Amino acid sequence: MKIQVPLISRPWKIAVVLLLAGSTTAIAQDRLALRGATIIPIVGERIVGGTILISDGRIEAVGKDIEIPVEAKVIDATGRFIMPGMINVHSAAGMSQANEQNANVPFLSVVDSIDPIADFFEESRRNGVTTAAVVPGNSTMIGGRAAIVKTAGSYVNDMLVKRDAGIKISLAPTTGTSRMSHFARLRRELLKAQKPEEETSIEKPAEEVKPEGEPAEAPKPEGGETPETPGATPAPSAQAETEKATREALVSLLKGEMPAIIYCETSMDVSQALALVDEFKLKPILVLGRDCYKAAKLVADRKLPVVLDSTMVYWRTDPITRKEEKIVLPKIFSDAGASYVFQVADSGTSLGTHYYWYQATTAVRYGMSADAALKALTFDSAKLLGIDDSVGSIETGKDADLVILSGEPLSVSTWVETTIVGGKVVYQKSEDAELRLLFNPEEDTN
Amino acid sequence: MKITQMTITKTLVRTTLMKAVAIVFAIGCGSTVSVIADEPEVSGDKTVLIKAEVIHTGTGEILRPGCVLIRDGKIVEIGESLSVEGVKVVEVKSLIPGLVDAASRIGAGRLDDERTDEITPDLASVSIVDWKDIDFLQQLSGGTTCVHLTPGTSNVVAGLTSAVKTAGTIDRRIVAERTGLAISVCSDPASGNNARSRPDSIYIRQPTNRMGVVWMLRNAFHATQNDKFASPAMKDVTAGTLPVFAVSRTQHDIQALMTLADEFSFHPTLIGGQECWKVTDEIAERKMSVILQRVIPGSSRGDERTRISADMAARLNKSGATFCLSGGDLLDQMRFAVRFGLPAESALASITASPAAILKIDDRVGSIVVGKDADLVAMTGDPLEFSTAIQWVMVDGAIQFEQAGN
Repeated sequence: MKIQVPLISRPWKIAVVLLLAGSTTAIAQDRLALRGATIIPIVGERIVGGTILISDGRIEAVGKDIEIPVEAKVIDATGRFIMPGMINVHSAAGMSQANEQNANVPFLSVVDSIDPIADFFEESRRNGVTTAAVVPGNSTMIGGRAAIVKTAGSYVNDMLVKRDAGIKISLAPTTGTSRMSHFARLRRELLKAQKPEEETSIEKPAEEVKPEGEPAEAPKPEGGETPETPGATPAPSAQAETEKATREALVSLLKGEMPAIIYCETSMDVSQALALVDEFKLKPILVLGRDCYKAAKLVADRKLPVVLDSTMVYWRTDPITRKEEKIVLPKIFSDAGASYVFQVADSGTSLGTHYYWYQATTAVRYGMSADAALKALTFDSAKLLGIDDSVGSIETGKDADLVILSGEPLSVSTWVETTIVGGKVVYQKSEDAELRLLFNPEEDTN
Repeated sequence: MKITQMTITKTLVRTTLMKAVAIVFAIGCGSTVSVIADEPEVSGDKTVLIKAEVIHTGTGEILRPGCVLIRDGKIVEIGESLSVEGVKVVEVKSLIPGLVDAASRIGAGRLDDERTDEITPDLASVSIVDWKDIDFLQQLSGGTTCVHLTPGTSNVVAGLTSAVKTAGTIDRRIVAERTGLAISVCSDPASGNNARSRPDSIYIRQPTNRMGVVWMLRNAFHATQNDKFASPAMKDVTAGTLPVFAVSRTQHDIQALMTLADEFSFHPTLIGGQECWKVTDEIAERKMSVILQRVIPGSSRGDERTRISADMAARLNKSGATFCLSGGDLLDQMRFAVRFGLPAESALASITASPAAILKIDDRVGSIVVGKDADLVAMTGDPLEFSTAIQWVMVDGAIQFEQAGN
């Protein structure tokens, strides 16, 4: 007998998201208590059989002898494990197109490209990831502004934790460009933003462009008519507008209002990145390609935490000695004394690298302690993004972003049972229709 | 010690008449070899006693604690506690048999696809092996000590398969030169072919569709029945003395294979089997062994756009079918199978004893049993956990890979 299940399609998904959001708002205003679980707060010791009290989307109390108010909704998590929601520090998967073709677009924001019902967010909730930094891809020189979002919500604005979370800079030259000219151009753009405005604008003076309004609109009658030749003005003003926006974004980067999220492709890029950081006093977040491992000492000496490549173990043949080496990034960076966090592969080609928890098991396999690995998935990632005041650990006052696990974290048979974002239940394994279909394809009516 | 790289040592042990001579190479050696001064513990000794906190024998049996005595590259004694005077003792946390990969295309430099002829039963995979290919080292470092080399799937009857070790002296590396005949009952031989193209193109050939694939196979079998000059391999297949390994992924290809098998009375082993969850009962009934090809965990689609079930291994296990996992990263594949429902007690067999039995090389490899080759993997803990690391991998009694820092 075949069991018929409802057709899963995109509109249906939206309905589910809205339904979940709708049905849980009531709970968020009330209080929610998670009782009986082993709590892994990340900062501090484990609490066996503890209680987490949530009110207004935040953690009100954590501990062993917490009195549960009568009005609180209670989730019994006896025998389960609760850890803070994991934080994906670097992913372009939440946006619709990772890379812009123009090389210098710091004024663009991923916020305009985030699709709340993207599979990425669903997959994140399924795997206990509650916060994600959506960052432009690695192929654009200055690729735009990153945003930090929660992985649940119906509209981007509901999800936003930080709108301008950094500007993505890539040191990998685009095809046809040499490394020299790529770096020179990048430096030139930053220098241009460093100089006072008058010196840089070779084009029309700034007053011609209206600060906020639409430049193409017919000018309001202000005194006399200013007859303009149609076709001639819109082009330069649009260009001026773009230049102004570029400048504004880069100025805010240079003021340190936003971190520079710098992608380094090879180890030589790392020293270039550090030179840029020194010259322009940037606040860096370094995202390292897998071949950057030779610069491990460099980042360790600067005490800069880095984001490791999603491929953390691979083989290479030394071009001169022809000796084959197994490169294990977590081990190399740990041995060098560098601190790091993980990122996931966008799509699975190797076995588990698209799972955030799997990356942590790889680090543990090569010597990291399980506690340190869990900390990297949560607190260290929050700290790197500068949002550790609100997420990354289970502490009073922080956002109630929590994951209820069926067993010990990182263990082979442990599954995310419930994901809570801002005090709302946004995922439950028992109701996960897609996961059910993965195991019961005969029920798929598509 | 270098900080920036893992040091890998490879040891080749050649047993001459009386003495075991240990030669220690840096990996990938070729002619430029750097000799590492301190020799790994186990190699070079004819007799070694390994004491483990846990031994998973691969057949489902667990010794806690356990000891294995090795002499001349063979397992000579197993017990909870053995005391042998005057031998080198190595202590480890957990010990499992060397893993067996039942369908692999490594070591051939990806040049194992025949495109000029559809029926090439006598081509032998073992004849083109590059014994020093980095693929072998990579598999070895993941615990795989024996691989089943299957030729590519670009033609209908692809050639002879063989079982080889991933390390050791070349004269000892061939476990079985002729394990079976590989055929492709799938769309691979038809894809890329053209009926019309440049006259000198190798792609002008049949089949150009699935029907053609089946038709060619049928022709080949008929020809063998009627022609006394037929290929020796095909003759052995029809005589039932050479096993058939058939690559089939979709449900209809698996069923086409079953029809052919009935028609010409052979008992094929399935390689691929992405959609075998649709015909689990029939597979169990026929006692058809299945070598599952690797799929991406969490994905609903496999090769050839097949619809897969995440718990395929668990389903086959439940149905009582003989099956194993294949395609590299065997430990992690097994762990995902466990995560997706394969019982822990059956897990290790799916990458050790079971593939060895399917390939009929279980007299030598696949489990920790007296008389078998000393192919062993030492691990830091429970082999079923993702966070457990490999300490070293032993082939024929010599440690061939050692993970630095563990």
